[in-house]
Amino acid sequence: MKLANRIYEVMYIATPDAVDDDIAKLNDAITNLVEKDGGTVSVVEGWGRRRMAYPINKKTEGYYVLLEVAGSGQEIAELERRFRVNDLIMRYMTVRVDEDRKAADKKREKRERRKTSRRGNEFGGAGAETADEALEA
Amino acid sequence: MVDRDDFIEDDLNLDVSIDSEIEKMPRRFQRRRPRQLVPDYIDWKDVDYLRRFIPERGKIMPRRISGVTAKDQRRIAKAIKRARTMALLPFVAD
Repeated sequence: MKLANRIYEVMYIATPDAVDDDIAKLNDAITNLVEKDGGTVSVVEGWGRRRMAYPINKKTEGYYVLLEVAGSGQEIAELERRFRVNDLIMRYMTVRVDEDRKAADKKREKRERRKTSRRGNEFGGAGAETADEALEA
Repeated sequence: MVDRDDFIEDDLNLDVSIDSEIEKMPRRFQRRRPRQLVPDYIDWKDVDYLRRFIPERGKIMPRRISGVTAKDQRRIAKAIKRARTMALLPFVAD
């Protein structure tokens, strides 16, 4: 049973010394860990080696990986604990995104509604519906 | 782009015909653009977008220059700070 379904973006930067194999193994381990706690990993996006804006651990490049995790939040706690002790990972960050995305959707909907209602006014009162339908067709 | 009906026209006429006394005073900041529109969701990973609010020095552009609303400024600032933590954007640029 899931109490809360939240969506998180988890990004980590691994050492540039890591080979693709290491990263793949790590991502598998993460997926397993999250699923064990009842969450799901919906996106695994490797950005590859990338120049960082400033050096971290005396390295100028990092291996970026972005994950999208859905779950209650407990899996995130465990995940971060593992991240902290993993030598490959130089930095990580988790951002909860579901609320902001919902807010963005709401805003868009509101704007679209306003647009259509204004368009209706242009055509004037009763004829608005048919005019709208004509445009849609 | 969205058209806004609550657009404030005064913003456009900022530096029109003020008397000479005031004109002598240096107008330090000119609003760059009135009422900037900002996307519904500001993605902290969208470095190209966020860079618009970061002048060469790497600081976050003040609202009086960028012309975004207070609310949007907070969202932008947060996104920039997140991007900085993940070394996508610099804390200081030289």
